[in-house]
Amino acid sequence: MIKFERFQLENGLRVLFHKDETTPMAVVNTLYDVGARDESEDKTGFAHLFEHLMFGGSVNIPEFDTPLQMAGGENNAFTSNDITNYYDVLPVNNIETALWLESDRMLSLAFTPKSLEVQRSVVIEEFKQRYLNQPYGDVWLQLRPLAYKEHPYKWATIGKEIEPIENATMEDVKAFFTKHYNPSNAILCIAGDLELENVKELVEKWYGSIPAGTKYERNLPKEPVQTELRELTIERNVPSNAFYYAFKMPDRLHADFFTIDLLSDALGRDKSSRLYVTLKKEQQLVADISAYIMGSLDEGLLVISGKLNEGVTFEQFDSALWALMDDLTSTKLSDSELDRIMVKFRTAKEFQDQGLLNRAMNLCNYELLGDPDGINSESEKYHQITTDDILRCAKNTLTKSNCSILNVKADKNAK
Amino acid sequence: MLNRTIEPALKEIDHINFVAPTKHSVSGRVDLYHMKEVPNETSRFELYFDAGKAKGIDSIAGFVNGLLLSGTPDKNSIEINSQINTLGGFLESGISVENATISMYCLKENLIPILDIVLDAIQNVSFIEKEVNEFLADRKVGHNVSLEKVGFLAQREFQERLFASNDVYSKALKLSDFETITIDKLKAFHSENYLNGLEKVVIVGDLDAAEINSIIESTKPFVNSKELSFATDLSHESGSFTVPKEGALQCAVRIGRILFNKNHEDYLDFLILNTIFGDYFGSRLMSNIREDKGYTYGIGTMVAELNHTGYFMIATEVGKDVLEPTLKEIKFELNRLQTELVGEDELQLVRNYMLGQLLKSADGPYAMTDLFLSVEVHGKDLEFYNLALSKIQNITAERIQELANKYLNWEDMSVVTAG
Repeated sequence: MIKFERFQLENGLRVLFHKDETTPMAVVNTLYDVGARDESEDKTGFAHLFEHLMFGGSVNIPEFDTPLQMAGGENNAFTSNDITNYYDVLPVNNIETALWLESDRMLSLAFTPKSLEVQRSVVIEEFKQRYLNQPYGDVWLQLRPLAYKEHPYKWATIGKEIEPIENATMEDVKAFFTKHYNPSNAILCIAGDLELENVKELVEKWYGSIPAGTKYERNLPKEPVQTELRELTIERNVPSNAFYYAFKMPDRLHADFFTIDLLSDALGRDKSSRLYVTLKKEQQLVADISAYIMGSLDEGLLVISGKLNEGVTFEQFDSALWALMDDLTSTKLSDSELDRIMVKFRTAKEFQDQGLLNRAMNLCNYELLGDPDGINSESEKYHQITTDDILRCAKNTLTKSNCSILNVKADKNAK
Repeated sequence: MLNRTIEPALKEIDHINFVAPTKHSVSGRVDLYHMKEVPNETSRFELYFDAGKAKGIDSIAGFVNGLLLSGTPDKNSIEINSQINTLGGFLESGISVENATISMYCLKENLIPILDIVLDAIQNVSFIEKEVNEFLADRKVGHNVSLEKVGFLAQREFQERLFASNDVYSKALKLSDFETITIDKLKAFHSENYLNGLEKVVIVGDLDAAEINSIIESTKPFVNSKELSFATDLSHESGSFTVPKEGALQCAVRIGRILFNKNHEDYLDFLILNTIFGDYFGSRLMSNIREDKGYTYGIGTMVAELNHTGYFMIATEVGKDVLEPTLKEIKFELNRLQTELVGEDELQLVRNYMLGQLLKSADGPYAMTDLFLSVEVHGKDLEFYNLALSKIQNITAERIQELANKYLNWEDMSVVTAG
């Protein structure tokens, strides 16, 4: 049970407080309800570039990192297709420093040309390091537009390509800030050994006077229902043939979301999963294979990916995989199989919940979904899932017409 | 009206509560460390074996470590994994030059049943040909992917130059190792270094005395009775080395030298110098090369330790076109540390930052156990961290400059670039 208090400021900022008496550290987590899905198609990669600019000084404070380090703390941030999340971890005695810093950059940034120039090149190096200069690094740049035709999930958070990042202007940056970075689009969670009254006072002091801004109304194009199998083969100078099968699945709030999460565990979480035991150990078709869900807020993906053994063709693997799918979509999991998956789930959850930062982030995520108490009912929802539910979801999900396949063919002469 | 330009007052960290795990003797010099104060159902066990890479040639130590759960005469690998997964265990195995570990994360109620499965698997592993061949084929696939990464290529070359004086320490996995390995060699290594190679057992979790005793009994048969022997006098090969990689968009850089570990009198002060130079977001290298020039997504430095020595390393990946300017800036920053005194503001920043990080490293039973183990391995106790506190509080700019001149000379470094 993760206890929390919730309150809201007049400017719309939603605040969660989670008390933990056992730690000398505190967490300030700020979730902004903006991700790569909110970018326009000609300016992809912008939410992530903007995340970098949030460290380039704010209206009253020339530098973000230095005062936080002076307070003994550290911080980081990430951008996903759905959200942008910033966190500070510091000794609880110095919590006010984090609130001072975070509130000032919510108020306004310094918008210095130097910061834009430098972060632009840092992000371009990040693009190269993570997506272009790694074997299989560009897979998601290819798979997303195959699986999504309309919804902005069709581009990756780093962006479709480097050009829009190169061309970003200060006007773009300011407009993005005005649109997305204000109290009505933010959720704050404070965790540590503090008292509620004290937290309220500090939050009111630093955030209370920030103008509410305009609540951004999201109106994203809806992804049309997929009706046929999509396939793409690309040739790359990589050592092994690799495959990615992406199946559409419902959004985060759909009743089947957790069930499909368990289905992905049954398929490919560990060395006892169906894919590993059948396709790797028994049939020896693959060097590695796994399955996972993307966990996105809008209609998401269940992905099966891995690498083929030498001498195995994509066709051989494909028919073996669909044969395994036939089995999963016609016969229920055994009770012992579900038990095994649930023990693993429970263990992982217990480890996740012990981290203070994890708890703070998760509270913000549930607040974004509409109910922070969801953090406490989640396990119960998982435990109610039956083998019948999983079979029903397998039937709906693991079909060819719901699938996009990306094959990466190893070719020494490819780029 | 709130004045946002004035920062809130800071409170200093003057005391950190360090908690040691309790120590139980398994046999001879081998001990079990138990951290009982865990406020939830989680637990972890770790088995340390004197079976590191330096214990064999041609990558055999890594192969044996990876095959420990590959099957016994009674159970194949699928059955072993199924038993562990049914109890919710998350396995991690690791190998370094000087030791090998098996770690398991699980709920405390399942710790002993899982440990029994793992010990049985390790004791009776039979290196079934089919499993061995599959494992080697998978490793080879992974290795071929690594060979495409400039970071891997630079790191491998760096290790060879860093440990140049010692043939066993310097050797990395090579493709021919997959061909020369035999089942007899695997069996011999296993028998020598695992059946008779357990060095330490670490338990984190709210287990009772009877449970700890049963763990002591079940691990006793594996205890290492041999003398430990680790390299004492490693020396690196200074100079510049390049690894070509056609088509790479970025160059990976590794620069460093043999240094020392916690048993050296300069260690703690050097750690402060290391932080200033490259070990936090506001470091000299990050400020200059990322935040001012935008040459890289990240650059950092580290101090790594071995049983009798240690080393220092700078690592980054930069755009191909800015490799030379990057090396020039690294040199510039080294030189600046040697010739200019660090300002009091920066020194205070690093003091506060390091104290905050030390507080964080001691937060929670898992972090605290790891913090303890990193002094225990060098024959020290938690008093070392109180010494660290006082060293951080009392560091001077003159001392930093002295150490930079003593240990951070460009001519002394092995400089490796791949790209």
